[in-house]
Amino acid sequence: MTKKIFKSIISVSVIVFALGLAFVMGILYRYFGDEIKEELRKEASYLAVGVEKNGTEYLESVTFDDSRITYIAEDGTVLYDSEANSDSMDNHGHREEVVEAAKQGSGEAYRISTTLSERTTYYALRLTDGTILRVSSTQYSVTALMYRLLRPLILILLLMFALSAFFASKIAKWIVKPMNELDLDHPEENQAYEEVAPLLSKIHKQNRQIKNQIDTAMQQQAEFSIITENMQEGLLVIDKYTMILSGNSSVWKLFQTKEKTGESVYSLDRSEEFRRVVENVLEGRHGETVLRSPAGHVRLIANPVIHEEETVGAVLLFVNVTEEIERESLRREFSANVSHELKTPLTSISGFAEIIQDGFVKPEDIKMFAGRIYKEAQRLIQLVQDVIKISQLDEKEIPYEWQNEDLYCLVKDVLDHLAEVAKKQDVQMDIEGDRTILRTVRPILEEALYNLCDNAIKYNKPGGNVRIVLSEDPYEIRIAVKDTGIGIPQEDQGRVFERFYRVDKSHSKEIGGTGLGLSIVKHGVTFLGGSLELESEEGKGTKITMVFPKDTKES
Amino acid sequence: MATRFERQLEELHVQMITMGSLCEKAISASSSAIQGEGISFAKEVFETDREIDEKEREIETLCMRLLLHQQPVAGDLREISAALKMISDMERIGDQAADIADLSQFVDVKMVDSSVDITEMAENTVKMVTESVDAFVKADLNLCRKVINDDDLVDRAFNEIKDRLADLIIDKKIDPKAGLDLLMTAKYFERIGDHAVNIAEWVEYSITGEHRNNEHHVGIVE
Repeated sequence: MTKKIFKSIISVSVIVFALGLAFVMGILYRYFGDEIKEELRKEASYLAVGVEKNGTEYLESVTFDDSRITYIAEDGTVLYDSEANSDSMDNHGHREEVVEAAKQGSGEAYRISTTLSERTTYYALRLTDGTILRVSSTQYSVTALMYRLLRPLILILLLMFALSAFFASKIAKWIVKPMNELDLDHPEENQAYEEVAPLLSKIHKQNRQIKNQIDTAMQQQAEFSIITENMQEGLLVIDKYTMILSGNSSVWKLFQTKEKTGESVYSLDRSEEFRRVVENVLEGRHGETVLRSPAGHVRLIANPVIHEEETVGAVLLFVNVTEEIERESLRREFSANVSHELKTPLTSISGFAEIIQDGFVKPEDIKMFAGRIYKEAQRLIQLVQDVIKISQLDEKEIPYEWQNEDLYCLVKDVLDHLAEVAKKQDVQMDIEGDRTILRTVRPILEEALYNLCDNAIKYNKPGGNVRIVLSEDPYEIRIAVKDTGIGIPQEDQGRVFERFYRVDKSHSKEIGGTGLGLSIVKHGVTFLGGSLELESEEGKGTKITMVFPKDTKES
Repeated sequence: MATRFERQLEELHVQMITMGSLCEKAISASSSAIQGEGISFAKEVFETDREIDEKEREIETLCMRLLLHQQPVAGDLREISAALKMISDMERIGDQAADIADLSQFVDVKMVDSSVDITEMAENTVKMVTESVDAFVKADLNLCRKVINDDDLVDRAFNEIKDRLADLIIDKKIDPKAGLDLLMTAKYFERIGDHAVNIAEWVEYSITGEHRNNEHHVGIVE
């Protein structure tokens, strides 16, 4: 804009200057022409007086500096000329000014010399006797004048040009300055040219529009990021070159890495399955797989992003399925174990029954066989009961009542129940601790404690002992069952609470039990809001502690 | 919008990651193969080795194209030249994994007593390769240095295995042929370790612009 203004000013001033010069020249020229004419006229009239009186002699007596005087007779013969010999001159009777003067008393004419450099003005005056006196003066013509003035003119022109350039640039800047200083963020508050007011108001309107749009976009962005950031699942958006466009924090957590936006998705995982799924999805095919990540098992669900029938990228969803997979394998193990545990007694029952049916058994032995069948059936019933108990605890659908119970009494009851078994095994039992009140569900706690004590007796050595210790601090109540039994090997300690897990893999019937005892304890304690601690040393004994926080509420 | 050059650099990066992961696959499969886990692993190694060779040519072409068409400078040039060097190391890893798989037909680590612990050496080597590729992917200098230092472990393990095998052969406790095969296997793992170190050094070079050319050369065992 500055440039344009500058150019306009310069060209206008140059044009104005040139035109002005031309006009002034024209006017001046005419003015001087008139002046010369007037002078000639005056001179002619002065001379006329003299010539009328003295004739040619007068003219000869006078000297002329700049004008040329010609005295012409009535017939056109030159009688006198101040600059040339009158005899050699031709007849002047037909000259324009002379003819005019002869007719009207005076006449004038211009003639431009052949070189165009001079212009001669003639003035002719008819004297009373009919002769004609002609005065002429020669000046430079306009062209010549221009030519002579060329150098100063160019000089002036250049000067003018420089000056106008200087001022034009200043002015242009001065004009543009308020435009540059416009505050486009607050267009309405500007004190600029009124011509730009419509533009400013338009900008104002658009500013508002843009702001609204940005606000909407930001809000959507915020909503989107709130949604994705609060997702447990990892979400990745990649382009068709496998570069990560965006990802939520879960995905970085899942891969235990810093944010990797802008890098290749292969920098997260470069395993073959992952690459295959990514390659497929970028060819437009949905894919699913389970990967190993630092955080465990991750299910990857990949969907292509298709725009105008072309895959432009993909959305990858990562779901942590570690627990699911572990639970799945536990469940598989559980059903395998249940089937096995159910099959063993059933095989015995069916075997005994078959023998009896076939009549291979002496009548006096039938009682013994029936006893065995009964025992195995009892075992089956016990097993099914235990399984039911565990699933009830699992589903948390036991309708028991929460009550304040005195743990000392409870422990005592349990020990009374087990007294006979303990005696058989030659195991001593005692309680340490005082009356302790805990809000709990009695049957569940009783069951758990019974199982713990039962185990402590079963896996004890003859002459060993079982000690139950009740203790209490401001935050929790602990019930510890200590025995001097065979202990649990270090490597099995993590798994003894699993269903059907037995340290002794032979599932021996020697000790009995269903393999669900400790599992029931764990489920029961969890149901009651408590936790379990296990300390054990092989060959020396085991200490299992149930810990209940004091503010246990009905869960 | 990324320029064509940046796009090609990213592609190079992705290809390098792919090649690295192929190397990892090859060497862990060959490590499984010598632990007597069947001929299928050996086959997998041969296939992967072919893929690695293909990948090497692909990356080489890409690098050349980048160098010729884009005339990269500074960091970019370093990355490309480091990539060119790294792929030849990776290719060697693939070849040696194939060699180990080849030997695995005659070698079973279970036929010698536990004092010849090739399994552990193999696992350490696999870890070194994984870490050197990781170092490249994450541009992680610390990991580079760890790989470079871990090479001493593998070198030491090789020397121990060598001495132990010599003793066993002298005492006629092992068939000399099998002993030599075991030694070769150990040697291949040791070499793979050296290549992993080379990769780590080139990663270091592409990050810092300095390459340590001193003590770690391929194949030098004191």
